[in-house]
Amino acid sequence: MHRSRRSVRHAARLPVLILGLSLVASACGSGGSDGSSSSSSEGPSGEIFISGSSTVEPISVRVQELFNDVNPDVLIAVDGPGTGDGFVLFCSGETDISNASRAIRDSEAEECAANGVDYVELQVGIDGLGVMTNASNDLVECVSFADLYALTGPEATGYRSWGDANGVSAELGGAGDLPDAPLDIFGPGEESGTFDTFVELVVEHPAEERGQAGTTRPDYSPSGDDNVILQGITGSDTSLGWVGFAFASGAQGVKLLDVDGGESGCVAATAETIASGEYPLSRPLFVYVNSNRAANNPGLEAYVDFYMDAGLDRAVAEVGYVELTDAAKAEVRAAWTERT
Amino acid sequence: MTFSTIGTVAKRGATGFERKRTDLAGGLFKAVILSALVVSLLVLAVLLIDTVVDAWSQLSTRAWDFLNGSLRSRSIDDKLGVKQGLYGSFWIGVFVASTAFPIGVGAAIYLEEYAAKSRLAALIELVIRNLAGVPSVVYGLLGLFLFVERSTIFGFVGLGWLADATGGRSVLSAGLTLAVLVLPIVIITAQEAVRSVPSGLKEGAYGLGATKSEMVWTQILPYAAPGILTGTLLAMSRAIGEAAPLILVGAITGGLTRNPELWDASGLREKFTALPIIIVEWVSERGRDPGFAEAAAAAIVVLLALVLLLNMTAILLRNRFERKRG
Repeated sequence: MHRSRRSVRHAARLPVLILGLSLVASACGSGGSDGSSSSSSEGPSGEIFISGSSTVEPISVRVQELFNDVNPDVLIAVDGPGTGDGFVLFCSGETDISNASRAIRDSEAEECAANGVDYVELQVGIDGLGVMTNASNDLVECVSFADLYALTGPEATGYRSWGDANGVSAELGGAGDLPDAPLDIFGPGEESGTFDTFVELVVEHPAEERGQAGTTRPDYSPSGDDNVILQGITGSDTSLGWVGFAFASGAQGVKLLDVDGGESGCVAATAETIASGEYPLSRPLFVYVNSNRAANNPGLEAYVDFYMDAGLDRAVAEVGYVELTDAAKAEVRAAWTERT
Repeated sequence: MTFSTIGTVAKRGATGFERKRTDLAGGLFKAVILSALVVSLLVLAVLLIDTVVDAWSQLSTRAWDFLNGSLRSRSIDDKLGVKQGLYGSFWIGVFVASTAFPIGVGAAIYLEEYAAKSRLAALIELVIRNLAGVPSVVYGLLGLFLFVERSTIFGFVGLGWLADATGGRSVLSAGLTLAVLVLPIVIITAQEAVRSVPSGLKEGAYGLGATKSEMVWTQILPYAAPGILTGTLLAMSRAIGEAAPLILVGAITGGLTRNPELWDASGLREKFTALPIIIVEWVSERGRDPGFAEAAAAAIVVLLALVLLLNMTAILLRNRFERKRG
């Protein structure tokens, strides 16, 4: 008897627990609607939703951090599912800003137009790659895209000398004059955005034409740490490697190779040639701003104003990308202030 | 328990009264299963040690800041941390517990005690078991359709009100999605627990004049409580570790201004992130900024601690209820 009475008491507690938990949940569900924008400071407020390229994401996040230090009442969320996915959201009006590592495609622009989304395109920085060899290597000065594909593409698996790649390079219209010298390759690992950029610019297109897998040869020394890549390159006399340009330009003991993109011959990698777009191993980074939203959301307008100021001057370089030249910055700022 | 039994069998073979032959096959079998245990524990230990070593630079110097920090663009940032992820994961757990638990236990009791043993019941049973094996991404798509997007079913049944209620890409949507994900698991474990109730208890209750619902409340639920609780909390641990459905439901990867306190319910219908998402993001960011490898390891340690805490609660609760039952 005693036992069963205890069970009864005990059992009565269970539904109470369930009820309690459900009540907590429903109370939270209804209570959390608009309690956010109540603050007393004088800065702009509002909410901003940014999506798009995961390459540009760190820049926009850095700008968010700096901006929120001054304007804590503008609530910003930055996501990075990819440029294409970002434009789908942007053109359906879900996001206020779309990050992009390429310009908007015609089909995407049509989608935006169909949904009445007007936008301003603003280039914020450049993602550039530096191709490097040991500083003491006099055998190579300039590599073409054909050479780079032949040296690092899927067909290069097993090549131990630069000269091994001449056949494939010649087939792709390259000069085929790579020297007979040991080939040690160092580069970022697959997890890196720099790896993706390299594959996209150099490997993907010829690999597709030749029916090969669109990735690099597996037998090179990958590292997530730029300094380790640099050590590898300086440790081998005729090495080959690539890292982000911002890092490569400050590196010691290495030689930056000129790159021939097929249009304007060999181009040296300098801040100027990258900023002008002349150097072929680079791609522009953009943000697209929904202009109607910017007109109606003071927080969004203030954020983009800030982006055009400290964003271009500070954030881009801080997260490891190449800043625009002063002239290019002025142009982008003008595009933003003179938007209609 | 299995090991000690086998051990005594093997020993008896070697030191038994008759000493006819050594049990070679038995000894070998013991060695094989022991090595299976050792290998799995070793792998776990290596992974744990490796992660903790990687995480040490974050956890040893700024553990408190790390627990209170937010998503940042650079790993050296002194405001880098996982609080936003803890917030998301905590509330996902709350929603899973408060929705999947009552619905799952209710469904289990209905299936075991009330439903007629018909073909339809057998079919439902089969469907539930299959649902428990559906990949979590599929539940993510379901959550996206039901709670995030303003969808319509067959072109006329509007679900926009549901998306309005959850706020779209929110902790609420994520919690409900994961509740749906673990619901089949909760039902199945609760069913097992209910089934294990001795029929003597039930019949005794009936014999004393109890109605069916009284019997369920006074006999089945108290007796099955340990099993139900263990199952539910294990399901919750699973929900908290899931990343794939959260990506579809729209967890934020890059940056969030909002960094509410854990108990602040005003952020439940706002954009969110969760611990598994933070880990995925930082692991992928380490290519750009190698310091994120350590931050990701530290976030893994935090998530592990959270899941261990839940499992420990499950064990303590089970022991408590079992003692009461005994």
